[in-house]
Amino acid sequence: MTSRVLVPMDGSEMSEHALEYALEAFPDGEITVLTVVGEPSSMWGAATGLALADDLEEAAQEQTQPIFDRAREIVAEADGDTELETVYALGHPVRAIINRAGDYDTVVVGSHGGSLADNLYVGNVAKKVVHQSPVPVVVVR
Amino acid sequence: MVETVLLVGIVASVFVGFNIGGSSTGIAWGPAVGAGLLKKTSAAALMTFFVFLGGATVGRNVMETLSGDIITIEISLAAGVAVLFFIGLGILIANVFGVPVPTSMVTVGAIVGLGLATGTTNFETIGWIVSWWIVTPVLGLWIGAFIGRYIYPELNRRFEIRASDGSLLTLDRTGSVPRPALGPNTTFQELGGTIVVFVIGCYMAFSAGASNVPNAVAPLVSSGALEANPAIIIATVAIGLGGFTIARRTMESVGSELSDIPLLAALIVMITAATITTLLSWAGIPISLVMASVMTIVGLGWGRATRPITAREAIRGETDAELSMGALTAEPEAPVTKIGEDESEEALDAGDLFNPRAIVKYVSMWIIGPSMSTLLAYGFFVVVPFV
Repeated sequence: MTSRVLVPMDGSEMSEHALEYALEAFPDGEITVLTVVGEPSSMWGAATGLALADDLEEAAQEQTQPIFDRAREIVAEADGDTELETVYALGHPVRAIINRAGDYDTVVVGSHGGSLADNLYVGNVAKKVVHQSPVPVVVVR
Repeated sequence: MVETVLLVGIVASVFVGFNIGGSSTGIAWGPAVGAGLLKKTSAAALMTFFVFLGGATVGRNVMETLSGDIITIEISLAAGVAVLFFIGLGILIANVFGVPVPTSMVTVGAIVGLGLATGTTNFETIGWIVSWWIVTPVLGLWIGAFIGRYIYPELNRRFEIRASDGSLLTLDRTGSVPRPALGPNTTFQELGGTIVVFVIGCYMAFSAGASNVPNAVAPLVSSGALEANPAIIIATVAIGLGGFTIARRTMESVGSELSDIPLLAALIVMITAATITTLLSWAGIPISLVMASVMTIVGLGWGRATRPITAREAIRGETDAELSMGALTAEPEAPVTKIGEDESEEALDAGDLFNPRAIVKYVSMWIIGPSMSTLLAYGFFVVVPFV
Protein backbone atom coordinates (compact mmCIF):
# COMPACT_ATOMS: atom_id res chain seq x y z
CA MET A 1 0.00 0.00 0.00
CA THR A 2 1.40 3.38 -0.93
CA SER A 3 1.36 5.98 1.74
CA ARG A 4 -0.37 9.27 1.21
CA VAL A 5 1.79 12.20 2.28
CA LEU A 6 0.70 15.81 2.77
CA VAL A 7 3.40 18.44 2.34
CA PRO A 8 2.29 21.98 3.17
CA MET A 9 4.40 24.51 1.27
CA ASP A 10 4.55 28.27 1.69
CA GLY A 11 7.30 28.93 -0.83
CA SER A 12 10.00 29.16 1.85
CA GLU A 13 13.26 27.28 1.58
CA MET A 14 12.35 25.24 4.63
CA SER A 15 9.16 24.01 2.99
CA GLU A 16 11.18 23.02 -0.07
CA HIS A 17 13.38 20.92 2.19
CA ALA A 18 10.22 19.30 3.51
CA LEU A 19 9.23 18.24 0.00
CA GLU A 20 12.74 16.99 -0.76
CA TYR A 21 12.65 14.93 2.40
CA ALA A 22 9.19 13.57 1.62
CA LEU A 23 10.37 12.45 -1.83
CA GLU A 24 13.35 10.69 -0.27
CA ALA A 25 11.52 9.07 2.63
CA PHE A 26 8.42 8.02 0.68
CA PRO A 27 9.74 7.10 -2.77
CA ASP A 28 6.52 5.27 -3.64
CA GLY A 29 4.22 7.63 -1.81
CA GLU A 30 1.47 9.76 -3.22
CA ILE A 31 2.55 13.26 -2.37
CA THR A 32 0.12 16.16 -2.13
CA VAL A 33 1.44 19.69 -1.87
CA LEU A 34 -0.86 22.05 0.02
CA THR A 35 -0.47 25.80 -0.28
CA VAL A 36 -2.48 28.27 1.76
CA VAL A 37 -3.16 31.77 0.45
CA GLY A 38 -4.75 34.80 2.07
CA GLU A 39 -3.04 34.28 5.40
CA PRO A 40 -3.49 36.74 8.26
CA SER A 41 -0.83 39.45 7.89
CA SER A 42 0.10 42.78 9.41
CA MET A 43 -2.61 44.70 7.55
CA TRP A 44 -4.77 41.84 6.31
CA GLY A 45 -3.95 42.84 2.74
CA ALA A 46 -3.60 39.28 1.44
CA ALA A 47 -6.92 38.10 2.88
CA THR A 48 -8.89 41.18 1.86
CA GLY A 49 -7.29 41.23 -1.57
CA LEU A 50 -8.58 37.72 -2.22
CA ALA A 51 -11.99 38.47 -0.75
CA LEU A 52 -12.36 41.45 -3.08
CA ALA A 53 -11.02 39.69 -6.16
CA ASP A 54 -13.48 39.42 -9.03
CA ASP A 55 -12.74 35.74 -9.25
CA LEU A 56 -11.53 34.28 -6.00
CA GLU A 57 -10.49 30.99 -7.52
CA GLU A 58 -8.49 32.60 -10.28
CA ALA A 59 -6.77 35.01 -7.90
CA ALA A 60 -5.88 32.19 -5.54
CA GLN A 61 -4.52 30.05 -8.36
CA GLU A 62 -2.40 32.91 -9.57
CA GLN A 63 -0.77 33.12 -6.14
CA THR A 64 -0.21 29.40 -5.75
CA GLN A 65 1.13 28.81 -9.25
CA PRO A 66 4.77 29.77 -8.54
CA ILE A 67 4.88 27.51 -5.47
CA PHE A 68 3.38 24.55 -7.34
CA ASP A 69 5.74 25.14 -10.26
CA ARG A 70 8.67 25.10 -7.86
CA ALA A 71 7.34 21.92 -6.26
CA ARG A 72 7.24 20.17 -9.65
CA GLU A 73 10.79 21.36 -10.31
CA ILE A 74 11.90 19.77 -7.07
CA VAL A 75 10.20 16.52 -8.01
CA ALA A 76 11.84 16.60 -11.42
CA GLU A 77 15.24 17.20 -9.83
CA ALA A 78 14.77 14.35 -7.38
CA ASP A 79 13.62 11.53 -9.66
CA GLY A 80 10.68 12.72 -11.68
CA ASP A 81 8.64 9.57 -11.06
CA THR A 82 6.53 10.66 -8.16
CA GLU A 83 3.09 11.83 -9.03
CA LEU A 84 2.47 15.15 -7.42
CA GLU A 85 -0.94 16.43 -6.49
CA THR A 86 -1.52 20.05 -5.62
CA VAL A 87 -4.22 21.56 -3.44
CA TYR A 88 -4.74 25.04 -2.14
CA ALA A 89 -6.76 26.51 0.68
CA LEU A 90 -7.64 29.91 2.08
CA GLY A 91 -7.00 31.62 5.38
CA HIS A 92 -5.15 30.23 8.35
CA PRO A 93 -2.46 27.67 7.40
CA VAL A 94 -2.78 25.60 10.58
CA ARG A 95 -6.53 25.16 10.19
CA ALA A 96 -6.16 24.33 6.52
CA ILE A 97 -3.52 21.68 7.23
CA ILE A 98 -5.35 20.13 10.18
CA ASN A 99 -8.64 20.01 8.28
CA ARG A 100 -7.02 17.88 5.60
CA ALA A 101 -4.46 15.91 7.58
CA GLY A 102 -6.96 13.16 8.38
CA ASP A 103 -7.06 12.10 4.72
CA TYR A 104 -3.33 11.35 4.71
CA ASP A 105 -0.99 8.94 6.42
CA THR A 106 1.75 11.43 7.19
CA VAL A 107 2.25 15.19 7.20
CA VAL A 108 5.74 16.50 6.37
CA VAL A 109 6.34 20.14 7.31
CA GLY A 110 9.32 22.48 7.37
CA SER A 111 10.28 23.56 10.87
CA HIS A 112 9.58 27.22 10.17
CA GLY A 113 8.56 29.35 7.25
CA GLY A 114 8.38 33.08 6.94
CA SER A 115 9.72 35.99 8.92
CA LEU A 116 9.36 36.86 12.56
CA ALA A 117 6.38 39.04 11.74
CA ASP A 118 4.61 36.18 9.97
CA ASN A 119 5.11 34.02 13.04
CA LEU A 120 3.45 36.73 15.08
CA TYR A 121 0.26 36.72 13.05
CA VAL A 122 0.10 33.06 12.16
CA GLY A 123 2.14 31.44 14.89
CA ASN A 124 4.61 28.63 14.46
CA VAL A 125 2.77 26.46 11.97
CA ALA A 126 4.92 23.37 12.43
CA LYS A 127 4.54 23.43 16.19
CA LYS A 128 0.78 23.81 16.03
CA VAL A 129 0.43 21.11 13.40
CA VAL A 130 2.46 18.71 15.56
CA HIS A 131 0.13 19.42 18.47
CA GLN A 132 -3.15 19.16 16.60
CA SER A 133 -2.61 16.71 13.76
CA PRO A 134 -4.57 13.45 13.88
CA VAL A 135 -1.81 11.69 11.90
CA PRO A 136 1.97 11.43 12.42
CA VAL A 137 3.90 14.58 11.56
CA VAL A 138 7.49 14.77 10.35
CA VAL A 139 9.18 18.11 11.02
CA VAL A 140 12.07 18.74 8.65
CA ARG A 141 14.97 20.94 9.75
CA MET B 1 20.99 71.66 33.37
CA VAL B 2 17.50 72.41 32.08
CA GLU B 3 18.93 72.99 28.63
CA THR B 4 20.67 69.62 28.70
CA VAL B 5 17.50 67.82 29.74
CA LEU B 6 15.52 69.67 27.07
CA LEU B 7 18.13 68.75 24.49
CA VAL B 8 17.89 65.08 25.46
CA GLY B 9 14.10 65.44 25.26
CA ILE B 10 14.28 66.91 21.78
CA VAL B 11 16.57 64.11 20.65
CA ALA B 12 14.03 61.62 22.01
CA SER B 13 11.23 63.56 20.24
CA VAL B 14 13.12 63.43 16.98
CA PHE B 15 13.64 59.69 17.39
CA VAL B 16 9.91 59.17 17.98
CA GLY B 17 8.95 61.49 15.12
CA PHE B 18 11.46 59.83 12.81
CA ASN B 19 9.89 56.43 13.41
CA ILE B 20 6.37 57.81 13.09
CA GLY B 21 7.45 59.31 9.77
CA GLY B 22 8.63 55.91 8.67
CA SER B 23 5.42 54.10 9.46
CA SER B 24 2.80 56.71 8.58
CA THR B 25 4.39 57.73 5.27
CA GLY B 26 4.12 54.09 4.28
CA ILE B 27 0.41 54.02 4.98
CA ALA B 28 -0.38 57.36 3.39
CA TRP B 29 1.65 56.91 0.23
CA GLY B 30 2.24 53.19 -0.10
CA PRO B 31 -0.67 52.64 -2.53
CA ALA B 32 0.16 55.66 -4.71
CA VAL B 33 3.87 54.79 -4.85
CA GLY B 34 3.04 51.13 -5.37
CA ALA B 35 0.83 52.02 -8.33
CA GLY B 36 3.69 54.03 -9.78
CA LEU B 37 1.88 57.36 -9.55
CA LEU B 38 4.70 59.24 -7.90
CA LYS B 39 8.25 58.80 -6.70
CA LYS B 40 9.17 58.07 -3.10
CA THR B 41 10.92 61.40 -2.76
CA SER B 42 7.86 63.32 -3.95
CA ALA B 43 5.75 61.27 -1.57
CA ALA B 44 8.04 62.20 1.33
CA ALA B 45 7.93 65.87 0.41
CA LEU B 46 4.13 65.88 0.20
CA MET B 47 4.01 63.93 3.45
CA THR B 48 6.10 66.53 5.27
CA PHE B 49 3.95 69.41 4.04
CA PHE B 50 0.60 67.84 4.90
CA VAL B 51 1.82 66.48 8.23
CA PHE B 52 2.73 70.03 9.17
CA LEU B 53 -0.68 71.25 8.04
CA GLY B 54 -2.45 68.56 10.06
CA GLY B 55 -0.26 69.04 13.11
CA ALA B 56 -0.56 72.82 13.09
CA THR B 57 -4.37 72.80 12.82
CA VAL B 58 -6.36 69.80 14.04
CA GLY B 59 -3.35 68.35 15.84
CA ARG B 60 -3.39 71.15 18.43
CA ASN B 61 -6.51 69.65 20.00
CA VAL B 62 -4.77 66.32 20.49
CA MET B 63 -1.71 68.15 21.80
CA GLU B 64 -3.90 69.77 24.47
CA THR B 65 -5.33 66.41 25.52
CA LEU B 66 -1.94 64.71 25.71
CA SER B 67 -0.11 67.54 27.42
CA GLY B 68 -2.81 68.72 29.78
CA ASP B 69 -5.85 66.51 30.20
CA ILE B 70 -4.68 62.94 30.83
CA ILE B 71 -3.05 63.74 34.15
CA THR B 72 -4.17 66.54 36.42
CA ILE B 73 -0.69 68.03 36.87
CA GLU B 74 1.69 69.20 34.18
CA ILE B 75 4.29 66.68 33.01
CA SER B 76 7.64 67.94 34.31
CA LEU B 77 10.40 68.22 31.77
CA ALA B 78 12.34 65.27 33.19
CA ALA B 79 9.20 63.12 33.36
CA GLY B 80 8.31 64.19 29.82
CA VAL B 81 11.69 63.03 28.57
CA ALA B 82 11.20 59.68 30.32
CA VAL B 83 7.72 59.32 28.80
CA LEU B 84 9.22 59.99 25.37
CA PHE B 85 11.74 57.23 25.96
CA PHE B 86 8.94 54.80 26.70
CA ILE B 87 7.11 55.87 23.55
CA GLY B 88 10.33 55.43 21.59
CA LEU B 89 10.93 52.03 23.15
CA GLY B 90 7.41 50.89 22.23
CA ILE B 91 7.89 52.03 18.65
CA LEU B 92 11.29 50.40 18.46
CA ILE B 93 9.97 47.05 19.67
CA ALA B 94 7.02 47.25 17.30
CA ASN B 95 9.29 48.09 14.36
CA VAL B 96 11.63 45.22 15.15
CA PHE B 97 8.72 42.77 15.25
CA GLY B 98 7.00 44.35 12.25
CA VAL B 99 3.69 45.07 13.99
CA PRO B 100 1.71 48.14 12.93
CA VAL B 101 2.38 50.67 15.67
CA PRO B 102 -0.53 52.24 17.52
CA THR B 103 1.71 55.15 18.51
CA SER B 104 -1.13 57.20 19.93
CA MET B 105 -2.13 54.38 22.25
CA VAL B 106 1.44 53.81 23.39
CA THR B 107 1.78 57.53 24.12
CA VAL B 108 -1.40 57.69 26.17
CA GLY B 109 -0.32 54.48 27.92
CA ALA B 110 3.02 55.96 28.98
CA ILE B 111 1.42 59.17 30.25
CA VAL B 112 -1.19 57.15 32.17
CA GLY B 113 1.67 55.16 33.72
CA LEU B 114 3.10 58.44 35.01
CA GLY B 115 -0.35 59.45 36.25
CA LEU B 116 -0.87 56.17 38.10
CA ALA B 117 2.53 56.40 39.74
CA THR B 118 1.86 59.93 40.94
CA GLY B 119 -1.84 59.44 41.67
CA THR B 120 -2.80 62.18 39.23
CA THR B 121 -4.57 60.23 36.50
CA ASN B 122 -7.65 61.96 35.17
CA PHE B 123 -9.85 58.89 34.91
CA GLU B 124 -12.70 60.77 33.29
CA THR B 125 -10.52 61.72 30.31
CA ILE B 126 -9.01 58.24 30.13
CA GLY B 127 -12.46 56.63 30.13
CA TRP B 128 -13.52 58.95 27.34
CA ILE B 129 -10.40 58.18 25.27
CA VAL B 130 -10.52 54.43 25.83
CA SER B 131 -14.21 54.25 24.94
CA TRP B 132 -13.34 55.84 21.59
CA TRP B 133 -10.57 53.30 21.16
CA ILE B 134 -13.19 50.60 21.43
CA VAL B 135 -15.72 52.38 19.24
CA THR B 136 -13.25 53.25 16.47
CA PRO B 137 -12.24 49.75 15.38
CA VAL B 138 -15.87 48.64 15.56
CA LEU B 139 -16.85 51.66 13.50
CA GLY B 140 -14.09 51.02 10.95
CA LEU B 141 -15.08 47.37 10.74
CA TRP B 142 -18.74 48.23 10.34
CA ILE B 143 -18.17 50.89 7.67
CA GLY B 144 -15.81 48.56 5.83
CA ALA B 145 -18.23 45.64 6.03
CA PHE B 146 -21.15 47.77 4.89
CA ILE B 147 -19.23 49.11 1.90
CA GLY B 148 -17.76 45.71 1.11
CA ARG B 149 -21.10 43.98 1.16
CA TYR B 150 -23.47 46.50 -0.39
CA ILE B 151 -21.57 49.26 -2.17
CA TYR B 152 -18.21 47.93 -3.31
CA PRO B 153 -19.45 45.70 -6.14
CA GLU B 154 -21.35 48.63 -7.64
CA LEU B 155 -18.41 51.00 -7.23
CA ASN B 156 -16.11 48.40 -8.70
CA ARG B 157 -18.36 48.11 -11.75
CA ARG B 158 -18.41 51.86 -12.31
CA PHE B 159 -14.77 52.60 -11.64
CA GLU B 160 -13.34 49.47 -13.07
CA ILE B 161 -10.58 51.19 -15.01
CA ARG B 162 -8.96 52.42 -11.85
CA ALA B 163 -8.23 48.94 -10.74
CA SER B 164 -6.14 48.27 -13.86
CA ASP B 165 -2.82 49.29 -12.34
CA GLY B 166 -1.00 48.21 -15.46
CA SER B 167 -2.45 51.14 -17.32
CA LEU B 168 -1.67 53.52 -14.50
CA LEU B 169 1.98 52.64 -14.90
CA THR B 170 1.73 53.73 -18.49
CA LEU B 171 0.52 57.06 -17.28
CA ASP B 172 3.56 57.37 -15.04
CA ARG B 173 5.93 56.94 -17.96
CA THR B 174 4.43 59.92 -19.75
CA GLY B 175 6.21 62.15 -17.24
CA SER B 176 5.99 63.53 -13.76
CA VAL B 177 3.13 65.83 -14.76
CA PRO B 178 0.17 63.85 -16.15
CA ARG B 179 -0.71 65.27 -19.55
CA PRO B 180 -3.77 64.83 -21.72
CA ALA B 181 -1.53 62.91 -24.08
CA LEU B 182 -1.87 59.77 -22.04
CA GLY B 183 -0.63 56.25 -22.49
CA PRO B 184 -2.30 53.98 -25.05
CA ASN B 185 -4.75 52.47 -22.55
CA THR B 186 -5.27 55.56 -20.44
CA THR B 187 -8.62 57.26 -20.45
CA PHE B 188 -9.78 60.46 -18.84
CA GLN B 189 -11.49 58.39 -16.21
CA GLU B 190 -8.14 56.97 -15.32
CA LEU B 191 -6.60 60.40 -15.16
CA GLY B 192 -9.38 61.27 -12.74
CA GLY B 193 -8.51 58.19 -10.75
CA THR B 194 -4.89 59.25 -10.58
CA ILE B 195 -5.83 62.65 -9.24
CA VAL B 196 -8.11 61.04 -6.67
CA VAL B 197 -5.29 58.79 -5.42
CA PHE B 198 -3.08 61.82 -5.12
CA VAL B 199 -5.64 63.91 -3.22
CA ILE B 200 -6.49 61.05 -0.87
CA GLY B 201 -2.78 60.53 -0.12
CA CYS B 202 -2.59 64.20 0.92
CA TYR B 203 -5.70 63.78 3.09
CA MET B 204 -4.18 60.72 4.72
CA ALA B 205 -0.94 62.63 5.36
CA PHE B 206 -2.96 65.46 6.91
CA SER B 207 -4.72 63.09 9.29
CA ALA B 208 -1.40 61.41 10.11
CA GLY B 209 -0.05 64.82 11.06
CA ALA B 210 -3.11 65.64 13.16
CA SER B 211 -2.88 62.43 15.15
CA ASN B 212 0.87 61.85 15.24
CA VAL B 213 2.62 65.22 15.58
CA PRO B 214 1.45 65.53 19.21
CA ASN B 215 2.81 62.07 20.07
CA ALA B 216 6.34 63.16 19.38
CA VAL B 217 6.34 66.42 21.34
CA ALA B 218 3.36 66.70 23.72
CA PRO B 219 5.34 65.37 26.74
CA LEU B 220 7.77 68.27 26.33
CA VAL B 221 5.10 70.90 25.68
CA SER B 222 3.25 70.08 28.89
CA SER B 223 5.86 71.61 31.19
CA GLY B 224 6.17 74.70 29.05
CA ALA B 225 9.81 73.89 28.33
CA LEU B 226 8.89 73.88 24.67
CA GLU B 227 6.27 76.13 23.09
CA ALA B 228 3.61 74.47 20.94
CA ASN B 229 4.70 76.13 17.68
CA PRO B 230 8.39 75.20 17.69
CA ALA B 231 7.32 71.77 18.96
CA ILE B 232 5.08 71.25 15.92
CA ILE B 233 7.96 72.29 13.65
CA ILE B 234 10.40 69.90 15.37
CA ALA B 235 7.91 67.05 15.06
CA THR B 236 7.27 67.86 11.40
CA VAL B 237 10.98 67.92 10.60
CA ALA B 238 11.49 64.60 12.41
CA ILE B 239 8.54 62.96 10.68
CA GLY B 240 9.74 64.36 7.36
CA LEU B 241 13.20 62.95 8.05
CA GLY B 242 11.65 59.54 8.62
CA GLY B 243 9.58 60.00 5.47
CA PHE B 244 12.65 60.66 3.34
CA THR B 245 14.72 57.82 4.83
CA ILE B 246 13.23 54.76 6.51
CA ALA B 247 9.85 55.24 4.81
CA ARG B 248 11.46 53.99 1.60
CA ARG B 249 11.29 50.58 3.18
CA THR B 250 7.85 50.95 4.81
CA MET B 251 6.35 52.35 1.61
CA GLU B 252 7.45 49.12 0.00
CA SER B 253 6.29 46.81 2.78
CA VAL B 254 3.00 48.58 3.46
CA GLY B 255 2.66 49.32 -0.23
CA SER B 256 3.03 45.66 -1.11
CA GLU B 257 0.61 44.69 1.63
CA LEU B 258 -1.90 47.27 0.41
CA SER B 259 -1.23 46.49 -3.23
CA ASP B 260 -2.68 43.06 -2.54
CA ILE B 261 -6.02 44.79 -2.37
CA PRO B 262 -7.46 46.57 -5.41
CA LEU B 263 -6.63 50.26 -5.68
CA LEU B 264 -10.30 51.21 -5.39
CA ALA B 265 -10.54 49.33 -2.11
CA ALA B 266 -7.33 50.97 -0.87
CA LEU B 267 -8.86 54.36 -1.63
CA ILE B 268 -12.04 53.51 0.28
CA VAL B 269 -9.91 52.39 3.22
CA MET B 270 -7.85 55.58 3.13
CA ILE B 271 -10.86 57.90 2.93
CA THR B 272 -12.56 56.09 5.81
CA ALA B 273 -9.46 55.91 8.00
CA ALA B 274 -8.39 59.50 7.33
CA THR B 275 -11.88 60.80 8.07
CA ILE B 276 -12.22 58.86 11.32
CA THR B 277 -8.75 59.97 12.40
CA THR B 278 -9.25 63.61 11.47
CA LEU B 279 -12.65 63.86 13.18
CA LEU B 280 -11.45 62.23 16.39
CA SER B 281 -8.27 64.32 16.42
CA TRP B 282 -10.42 67.38 15.99
CA ALA B 283 -12.32 66.30 19.10
CA GLY B 284 -8.96 66.00 20.87
CA ILE B 285 -8.92 62.20 21.01
CA PRO B 286 -5.55 60.55 20.37
CA ILE B 287 -6.27 57.87 17.82
CA SER B 288 -4.20 55.54 15.70
CA LEU B 289 -4.44 55.98 11.94
CA VAL B 290 -3.11 52.46 11.48
CA MET B 291 -5.85 50.98 13.61
CA ALA B 292 -8.61 52.75 11.71
CA SER B 293 -7.02 51.63 8.42
CA VAL B 294 -6.62 47.98 9.29
CA MET B 295 -10.09 47.59 10.73
CA THR B 296 -11.59 49.10 7.58
CA ILE B 297 -9.54 46.68 5.47
CA VAL B 298 -10.71 43.70 7.52
CA GLY B 299 -14.28 45.01 7.35
CA LEU B 300 -14.19 45.39 3.57
CA GLY B 301 -12.82 41.91 3.03
CA TRP B 302 -15.05 40.26 5.58
CA GLY B 303 -18.14 42.07 4.32
CA ARG B 304 -17.43 40.95 0.80
CA ALA B 305 -16.37 37.43 1.72
CA THR B 306 -19.57 36.72 3.61
CA ARG B 307 -21.75 38.06 0.83
CA PRO B 308 -23.59 35.61 -1.38
CA ILE B 309 -22.27 35.65 -4.93
CA THR B 310 -24.72 37.00 -7.47
CA ALA B 311 -25.18 35.87 -11.03
CA ARG B 312 -23.82 39.13 -12.34
CA GLU B 313 -20.57 38.59 -10.50
CA ALA B 314 -20.27 35.13 -11.90
CA ILE B 315 -20.50 36.63 -15.37
CA ARG B 316 -17.98 39.31 -14.49
CA GLY B 317 -15.62 36.66 -13.25
CA GLU B 318 -15.66 34.99 -16.63
CA THR B 319 -15.00 38.12 -18.63
CA ASP B 320 -12.12 39.06 -16.38
CA ALA B 321 -10.65 35.63 -16.75
CA GLU B 322 -10.48 36.13 -20.49
CA LEU B 323 -8.81 39.49 -20.12
CA SER B 324 -6.08 38.72 -17.66
CA MET B 325 -5.65 34.98 -17.71
CA GLY B 326 -4.11 34.96 -21.18
CA ALA B 327 -0.69 33.77 -20.08
CA LEU B 328 -1.94 31.28 -17.55
CA THR B 329 -4.53 29.57 -19.73
CA ALA B 330 -1.67 28.61 -22.04
CA GLU B 331 -1.27 25.43 -20.00
CA PRO B 332 -4.81 24.35 -19.24
CA GLU B 333 -3.77 20.74 -18.79
CA ALA B 334 -1.82 21.58 -15.66
CA PRO B 335 -3.18 19.44 -12.82
CA VAL B 336 -3.50 22.44 -10.56
CA THR B 337 -6.47 23.70 -12.51
CA LYS B 338 -8.34 20.46 -12.18
CA ILE B 339 -7.74 20.09 -8.50
CA GLY B 340 -8.42 23.74 -7.92
CA GLU B 341 -11.84 23.35 -9.49
CA ASP B 342 -12.70 20.35 -7.38
CA GLU B 343 -11.60 22.28 -4.39
CA SER B 344 -13.81 25.26 -5.09
CA GLU B 345 -16.93 23.17 -5.23
CA GLU B 346 -16.48 21.70 -1.79
CA ALA B 347 -14.16 23.73 0.34
CA LEU B 348 -13.19 27.07 -1.17
CA ASP B 349 -15.00 29.46 1.12
CA ALA B 350 -13.96 33.10 1.25
CA GLY B 351 -15.22 33.19 4.83
CA ASP B 352 -12.17 31.10 5.78
CA LEU B 353 -10.05 34.16 5.09
CA PHE B 354 -11.41 35.88 8.18
CA ASN B 355 -11.12 33.39 10.95
CA PRO B 356 -12.59 35.14 14.02
CA ARG B 357 -9.88 33.71 16.25
CA ALA B 358 -7.13 35.12 14.06
CA ILE B 359 -8.82 38.54 14.16
CA VAL B 360 -9.17 38.41 17.93
CA LYS B 361 -5.52 37.44 18.24
CA TYR B 362 -4.60 40.33 15.98
CA VAL B 363 -6.62 42.88 17.95
CA SER B 364 -5.21 41.57 21.23
CA MET B 365 -1.74 42.49 20.01
CA TRP B 366 -2.90 46.09 19.97
CA ILE B 367 -3.93 45.89 23.57
CA ILE B 368 -0.50 44.56 24.56
CA GLY B 369 1.39 47.65 23.26
CA PRO B 370 -0.32 50.35 25.33
CA SER B 371 -0.64 48.03 28.34
CA MET B 372 3.08 47.39 28.28
CA SER B 373 3.88 51.08 28.00
CA THR B 374 1.54 51.85 30.92
CA LEU B 375 3.10 49.15 33.09
CA LEU B 376 6.68 50.04 32.21
CA ALA B 377 6.11 53.75 32.75
CA TYR B 378 4.25 53.06 36.01
CA GLY B 379 7.06 50.87 37.32
CA PHE B 380 9.67 53.38 36.29
CA PHE B 381 7.97 56.37 37.88
CA VAL B 382 7.30 54.45 41.09
CA VAL B 383 10.97 53.56 41.41
CA VAL B 384 12.23 56.95 40.20
CA PRO B 385 9.77 59.61 41.39
CA PHE B 386 10.18 62.71 39.27
CA VAL B 387 7.27 64.87 40.26
